Amino acid sequence: MTDHRSVSIVMIEDDEGHARLIEKNIRRAGIMNEITHFTDGTTALHYLFNDKNGPALNGPALVLLDLNLPDMSGTDILAKIKSEPALKRTPVVVLTTTDDKVEIQRCYDLGCNVYITKPVNYESFAQAIRQLGLFLSVIQVPDLEGQ
Amino acid sequence: MARPLLQRLGVREGLARRFLVACLAIGFLALITAILAAAWSTKRSQDHGRWVTHTYEVELAVTQVTTAIERAETVRRGYLLSGQQAYLDSYRNVAATLDPALAKVTRLTHDNPQQRGNLLRLRSQLGQILAYRNQSIALMAAGRQQAAIDAFVAETGAARMKTIRATLAAMTAEEQRLLAIRDRELQDSVTIFYAILAATGVLLLLVALATLATVLRYTRDLSSSRDDLRDFADTLEELVEERTADLSRANEEIQRFAYIVSHDLRSPLVNVMGFTAELDTATIAITDLIDRAEASAPEIVTEDARLAAREDLPEAIRFIRTSTQKMDRLINAILKLSREGRRTISPEPVDMTAMIQTIDASLKHLTEDRGATIAIDGTLPGIVTDRLAIEQIFSNLIENAVKYLQPGRPGRIVVRGERTGSRIAYEIEDNGRGIAATDHQRVFDLFRRSGHQDQPGEGIGLAHVRALAYRLGGVIDVRSELGKGATFRLTLPAALTETDSPRSGEIS
Repeated sequence: MTDHRSVSIVMIEDDEGHARLIEKNIRRAGIMNEITHFTDGTTALHYLFNDKNGPALNGPALVLLDLNLPDMSGTDILAKIKSEPALKRTPVVVLTTTDDKVEIQRCYDLGCNVYITKPVNYESFAQAIRQLGLFLSVIQVPDLEGQ
Repeated sequence: MARPLLQRLGVREGLARRFLVACLAIGFLALITAILAAAWSTKRSQDHGRWVTHTYEVELAVTQVTTAIERAETVRRGYLLSGQQAYLDSYRNVAATLDPALAKVTRLTHDNPQQRGNLLRLRSQLGQILAYRNQSIALMAAGRQQAAIDAFVAETGAARMKTIRATLAAMTAEEQRLLAIRDRELQDSVTIFYAILAATGVLLLLVALATLATVLRYTRDLSSSRDDLRDFADTLEELVEERTADLSRANEEIQRFAYIVSHDLRSPLVNVMGFTAELDTATIAITDLIDRAEASAPEIVTEDARLAAREDLPEAIRFIRTSTQKMDRLINAILKLSREGRRTISPEPVDMTAMIQTIDASLKHLTEDRGATIAIDGTLPGIVTDRLAIEQIFSNLIENAVKYLQPGRPGRIVVRGERTGSRIAYEIEDNGRGIAATDHQRVFDLFRRSGHQDQPGEGIGLAHVRALAYRLGGVIDVRSELGKGATFRLTLPAALTETDSPRSGEIS
């Protein structure tokens, strides 16, 4: 991803602490892409779909999505992203506390690209995020403007 | 609803029964009265019959006396007129019948003072007339026929005969009078008899009607009660279904609650643990700085700063860590329990002996380490239930037994089972340290433990066991005395069906 500096990361996470820890560990993995953080679904959807800097109108992005949001379920956001032609190729990484099998299946059915359960143990958590960072640094994100 | 219905029925039944018994008693009394009245009336009739016969006998006797007197008179007259010996013989014969006839009358009427008076008068009158008769007959016998005839004419015979006839008629009349009185008495008694008969008849009729009415009402009550019961039985089914649905809903809600609570508690915990780790990392940097400062410029390092970096911060972080770790384990336990509640139960035949042997093998290292043995007493009855759940129950209980031994006593754990009707009771008995009576219920509560806390654990195992036992439609309890071992008794349905276990809903 170091080659794709234009790829912005959209983080939808209602817990400020989690967001901060995720950001710290992503940075520690060497990912320096811009991270835009939202704590609720409504503003996040607005940014994704309508903002001039948002991925739908401006450039490739990657979404880090938490499922437990105050105003809507993360799966609703996932469904909306995957049913919008301008966004459906945007990789979505679900990063949540839920490890319910049914929930995981549902997310993959809806088109989620990676599902990660946040480990409660911080060492594992930090490690997982760092590995995610390493993963982000190698995956190819489709150029949305090119379609 | 059931109780008042049955009570009402019981009360009515008792009342009706008592009333029927009373009616029957009255009916029997009426019958007995009627029979007594009949007997009394018959007796009266018989008495009356005897009295009628008596009257006729008296009348007959009086007639015989009359006949004897009249015939004697006729024969005497013949003798006086003809002087023939045949008349005299006849007279003597006829005269001889008078005394027995009189005696008979006397005997028959001795109880009647009036008749006695009449008889006395008759006897004196007869005495006079007989004297005259004998006198005239004596004259005839002496051959003085004319004198005899004169005497006959002179005697006031005809007049005397009239008085005798009158006396006899009076006697007959007296008997007739008595007979009339007795006739009336008979008439009265017959009337009374009929009256009694009519009264008892009416009474019997009333009793019969009342009994019939009671029986009919009782029968009606019974059939209405039966209808009520049937309706009740019908609604009971619905009621049970409703209650089951309510319970399932409540259970579902608790499961959901437990899940959400444990799930949502995890999120802040991640922060606490995460930032503690960050703090820890930061502390290392600060401690490093303090170390370097102390080495190059000791005068700028205060005692407070040194203590904070080297002792206070690491200590605070350590406590936060252990507490959050414990909290993490507790939350995981709740999560596990709520997950267990949501798991689908699938009954299948389970070979308990094989299962215990498997558990024994899996605990081998622990039993060898602690010096405990696991044995099966007799044969364990097989069961149809959820394999995973029952395996978790038994391994929890057996592991507990191995863990909580009485120090200095080799552990001996015995598993036995017995089938009673449609249920099977399994017992896991150990000779370990036991559980105090005050803790017998508490040990099944979540996060509660008993006795000396020398073993690792969160107080989850038995709560989990009890939740599982409930899910399998069973119950679990413990008998134990401190220091003498404990016996856990698990009672389960021999064949679990889907409906036996409390259902719980799917949580999305």
